[in-house]
Amino acid sequence: MNLIRAEAQRLAARRFVQLMVLLLLLAFAVTAATTLAGSHTPTSAELATAQQQATAERRDMEREHDRCLARDRGEAWAHEGNLYLPPDCSELDPAQRDRLPVTADYLTGVFTFTQQAESLLFFLVAFLLMFGFLVGASYIGADLNSGGVVNLLLWRPRRLTVLGAKLGTLLGAVLVLSVLASVAYLVTFWVIAHVAGYPGPTDAAFWAALAQLWGRGIGLVLLGTAVGFALATIGRHTAAALGAVVAYLVVWELGGRIVLQILEVARPDQLLLSSYVAAWIAKQVRFYDNSRCTDVYYSYCDSTYLLTWQPALGVLLLLTAGLTAVAFALFRRRDLS
Amino acid sequence: MSGVIEIEGLRKTFRSLRRGRRVAVDGFDLLVEAGQVHGFLGPNGSGKTTTLRALLGLVGADEGRMTVLGARAPERLPQVAGRVGAIVESPQFFGNFTAYRTLRLLAVAGGVPVSRVDEVLEQVGLGDRGHERVKGYSLGMKQRLAVASALLKRPELLILDEPANGLDPAGIREMRDLVRALAANGVTVLVSSHILAEIQLICDHVTIISRGRRVAAGRVDEVLAGFDRNECLVRADDLARAEELLRAAELTVTAHADHLVVGGVPDPALVNRTLGEQGVWVRELTPVRPDLESVFLELTGAGQHPTVPRQADGTPHDPAAGQLIDLDIRGVDA
Repeated sequence: MNLIRAEAQRLAARRFVQLMVLLLLLAFAVTAATTLAGSHTPTSAELATAQQQATAERRDMEREHDRCLARDRGEAWAHEGNLYLPPDCSELDPAQRDRLPVTADYLTGVFTFTQQAESLLFFLVAFLLMFGFLVGASYIGADLNSGGVVNLLLWRPRRLTVLGAKLGTLLGAVLVLSVLASVAYLVTFWVIAHVAGYPGPTDAAFWAALAQLWGRGIGLVLLGTAVGFALATIGRHTAAALGAVVAYLVVWELGGRIVLQILEVARPDQLLLSSYVAAWIAKQVRFYDNSRCTDVYYSYCDSTYLLTWQPALGVLLLLTAGLTAVAFALFRRRDLS
Repeated sequence: MSGVIEIEGLRKTFRSLRRGRRVAVDGFDLLVEAGQVHGFLGPNGSGKTTTLRALLGLVGADEGRMTVLGARAPERLPQVAGRVGAIVESPQFFGNFTAYRTLRLLAVAGGVPVSRVDEVLEQVGLGDRGHERVKGYSLGMKQRLAVASALLKRPELLILDEPANGLDPAGIREMRDLVRALAANGVTVLVSSHILAEIQLICDHVTIISRGRRVAAGRVDEVLAGFDRNECLVRADDLARAEELLRAAELTVTAHADHLVVGGVPDPALVNRTLGEQGVWVRELTPVRPDLESVFLELTGAGQHPTVPRQADGTPHDPAAGQLIDLDIRGVDA
């Protein structure tokens, strides 16, 4: 417990951590200020017009669907206007759409919380992921480099306990900061929506979806933090973690992707880590596989495949656990100077 | 043997792709008993710091048995870590932390009352600068901070690797007084240093390491006595005649431009009498006593010669260096 307390104090006292928190606050303030400046509370007339437009749009969608069904029944009115209708009418079924037009879609210059919350959360998660990775890497990297770890081991000569306490404290601190930042962030924009925008229709399903996205985002932040910590431990230096990530992105995500395309490897996206990150955050991602429908010219062929969050989580957990295990094993046996 | 620190047959080899295989410590033995202020000497790269790092669990030993305060190292070190204060080589600290914060974090991690921080800062002479950032400290101040960190837990055993490194003369004297005061309070101190005069002043026992092996060990006065050749420096009004008379008395004489060095003289009065009886008047008669520096240079100078077999306790040795093994045995007995 003493060790964790000391590590928490050491982490909080780090200049880099303070700088990153400051950056987070700055990014937060800039986003909030620009949102506030670029939004206004819609007048009742604006709202009424937007509502009418959304209703009309929904009605048009239903009419198109009805026309398609009528064509299948052989009714003549279906051909009025010479509009294109797909062979499968379910494609036009409003009930099967991801979302239907809503009032907020037709409000211009108005910040609508329900529409923007997801992208705001994506931004926050991206920042926290960067924060967690960099802080995780520099926390242990600087300590290994500056002799801080050696000093600590002279006091607590249990290597795995010391490294475990550092990782645990780091993850705990990043989690607490992430939760606080997320709550502050969403509450601020919720208030902005009420004061100078439009909250939008919120129901249990909206909040549940937002909570799920947040949970997946925080999970990713913690995994990224652990990966940064593990890479810097393995490489004995903060720069080792940064170098490993840059090397991976350039060599495999860019270079490897090109090579995989040239070699016409089936489902190349399955071999790239970014696909699993995207699948985890978005719950599922559909990728194209060009090698799949090469012989089909006249009949329909679905050349896509789906990557869902379950295997994505498995891959990300496996990677993080593997790197962390290697880091602990190396640190246990390594000569420290 | 039963000591505060016991090392037997320590062996450590470093391997790297660039520099290949390098034996840093090669069957080294060390015994430090309770209450000693024990000097640990050796030239640069002789294995001092590697030995201390291995003892403190910072590097893994290939072979050997080590105990600290009766606990096997490094396996059982956690049991005694609270009683051992140590600094190893040039300690580094976060530049942006103050000395106070640095020590406070260590105190919290080690379960030591935070009030102790001010005490040790005062003890090492950093009381008035404890709230300054470490990056503004001189090397000597950082060294004091390192010693303060070692003192924080009121250790029974203090291991100091080059504590005088970077200290000015006044700082060296303060460090000497500090070590003496600690020793007077019953703290066992193992201090490695290359400032030999300093070691001679503060240590009662010494171990000398060269190329990873022990070449001398024992009480400082015994080690020095082992190298005492009963020599005298002689100046006389007729140096040529004096040389002739002393050789005739079957003494070993080495002639220099303005003096003679006479060996095998158990009592300087013999020289005075021999010359005086023949009417040669002695202007200066000074017994030449070995100091730690000359012993160190002699031992480690031989140790650095690649053609001379390495000396260590109990191993056969070159007869030309016959004194060393006797000295080692005496050191162990002591």
